[in-house]
Amino acid sequence: MGGDRTIRETLRGWAFLAPLAVFILGFVFVPVAGTFIDSLHREVTFLPRAFIGLGNYRSLSSDPWFWQSLRFTVLFVLVSVPLELVLGMAFALLLHRPSRARGALRACVLLPWAVPAAVSGRVFELVCNFQYGPANYIAERLGLTVGPVNWLGSAWGAFFALVAGDTWKTAPFVAVLFLAGLSAIPGDLYRQAAVDRAGPLQRFTRITLPLLRPVVVVALLFRTIDALRVFDLVFVLTRGGPGGSTTSLSLYGYDAFAGGDVGYGSAVSVVLFLVAFALSAAYVRIGRFGRGLS
Amino acid sequence: MRMRAIFRVLCAVSAFLAAAAPPSPAGAITFAVGGAPSEFDQWERLAREFEGKTGIRVELLRQPTDTGLRRQGLSVSLQARGSSPDAFLMDVAWLAQFAASGWLEPLDPFLGKEGCAGREAFFPRMIDAVDTYDGRVAALPVYVDGGLLYYRKDLLEKYGLPGPPRTWDELLRYSEVVQRGERRSRPGFYAFVWQGAQYEGLVCDFLEFAGASGEFGVENGAVVIDTPRNREALRFMRDLIGKYGISPPNTYTDMREEEVRTFFQEGNALFERNWPYAFALHESRGSPVRGKTGVAPLPGWSPGGGAASLGGWHAGISRFSESKPESAKFLCYLASYDTQKDLARRLGWNPARRDVYADPELLAKNPHFPELRAVFENARPRPLLPYYSRLSAILQRHVNAALSGMSTPEEALSAARREMQAIVSRYR
Repeated sequence: MGGDRTIRETLRGWAFLAPLAVFILGFVFVPVAGTFIDSLHREVTFLPRAFIGLGNYRSLSSDPWFWQSLRFTVLFVLVSVPLELVLGMAFALLLHRPSRARGALRACVLLPWAVPAAVSGRVFELVCNFQYGPANYIAERLGLTVGPVNWLGSAWGAFFALVAGDTWKTAPFVAVLFLAGLSAIPGDLYRQAAVDRAGPLQRFTRITLPLLRPVVVVALLFRTIDALRVFDLVFVLTRGGPGGSTTSLSLYGYDAFAGGDVGYGSAVSVVLFLVAFALSAAYVRIGRFGRGLS
Repeated sequence: MRMRAIFRVLCAVSAFLAAAAPPSPAGAITFAVGGAPSEFDQWERLAREFEGKTGIRVELLRQPTDTGLRRQGLSVSLQARGSSPDAFLMDVAWLAQFAASGWLEPLDPFLGKEGCAGREAFFPRMIDAVDTYDGRVAALPVYVDGGLLYYRKDLLEKYGLPGPPRTWDELLRYSEVVQRGERRSRPGFYAFVWQGAQYEGLVCDFLEFAGASGEFGVENGAVVIDTPRNREALRFMRDLIGKYGISPPNTYTDMREEEVRTFFQEGNALFERNWPYAFALHESRGSPVRGKTGVAPLPGWSPGGGAASLGGWHAGISRFSESKPESAKFLCYLASYDTQKDLARRLGWNPARRDVYADPELLAKNPHFPELRAVFENARPRPLLPYYSRLSAILQRHVNAALSGMSTPEEALSAARREMQAIVSRYR
């Protein structure tokens, strides 16, 4: 009787899972496997398809633009993600304090996250504009520069403009995650800490950070994967320029697809997938998911 | 409740599938076009007129303005061998890729018959070199483009300069004189604007700076790009921005067609390199340079030695179309004298047919047409290779890097040659 019920429950569980499983199979596994298979072929629109094993990967390894785009992408992740996490944490701590303006403030901070990346790319293009961008106006007013500066005109300038654009847009997202985490921490802990005469810094490092760790890891995971795949912002703001210095891996793969070489573009996508997968696995391990708090 | 949800999902999915491949009803064809809103209006009108004459309905498939996005959209449906769209417009730069991929139906059986124009009606450089692939006509030109030099008639007069420059040295001299004078009242004045951002337009400009002897191509499997003439052209482009300072510092980051056009149109420049479309806009109501703009062939390194890059859009029929004869009729209609004249009059497009350039009515409205015709007769196509866009992407990055000072012109072109060679060996 009881066993019967468990089987029924199990079956029912599977039935509920089935649509999701079909969805993931159809929309995640099949395309990923297809991309991998394509990457092992000479899959070019204007040539007959042929199996070439690791040929595309061998070409990648001797392609200076592949290494350039990998270098750019990794550097972009290393600079923008920590910045977003620190800023997001600062926002979250500020917004967590009870205040009459809290609702309005939260809405303000969240606004950039609601803006599509392509739009924020255009906004930053305008900000950096040589002729009439406010960046030049402000820098000159503050006495930092003499005459207009072409901000997007150097490799470093373009890189930091992209980092700024990405941080502006996604720090609010991180802040929302952290806010949710903060509100789950019981207030008693802070009251006890106050009794023990713990200062604000101590309370932050001994209570807030440890209890927030799972949320931090989730934010880190989301932001890293997203930053690795950066495409829209680059496509709109710099299109990989100047001189190809800000070509991201996604943009490089897109270039290959657009030029008719599906196999080569697939190989770039597979590399990107592997990097993202390895980093995610590392984070999940570091984050020690499934071991509970404390 | 749940059934309804499932039904909704099914509806959404089928709607999505239907939208991805709209079936054309019998006696109807689908034609993919893109461009500015004003252009869509003209396409709608042409489609209606064509239906009135032949009873064949033309459904327009709207595409974005960006040529890269348009190519992507079309190549996805062609790779899937979809029967829709039946026919489409193609940029001259993708023709070779589409033809070599076997996506275009040969048009020879339709040409010169039943009121359809024959090959001889078009510019030979176009129909023979660009539209013919493997000995067969793969597309028909709808309109032609070539790089032109726009200049401010009033400013040349003001500084006592005789007329538009015929050589790059003259352009440089005129620019320095006028810029020095104009800067007094306009600190943001730069004498010469052109397309320097990292995109396809930069390749067109680069080849034009290199002039009639500009060399870019593949000969017997060897990439030709790192030549003395090209190095000199690239040094000159870099110096226009840096050493001479007559082109704005953001030339290599921002300047594409529209940025260049607005810069000139606001009265901030003396010379502008652009495609013919800019003329109608400069002359439009409210334009500060209205009535002050002249058009000339691009300068060269010696008088008469300049050459324009060939641009323009071509119409072809999908190999997978199920209505090929009807589509061919529509293409022939686009290439007819009346339609070509109509498009020239309403949109300022340059006819692909040679005879339309002698039309008295058009000449009265566009006195610069004979000059344009000479430019297009001599315009040089970019290499017609199926893997052209892969080569172009490399060239764009290196030329742009040299303009930004990240590399020297010598380093840029030698690296470009090396990397392009790897592409050529991969696809040959």
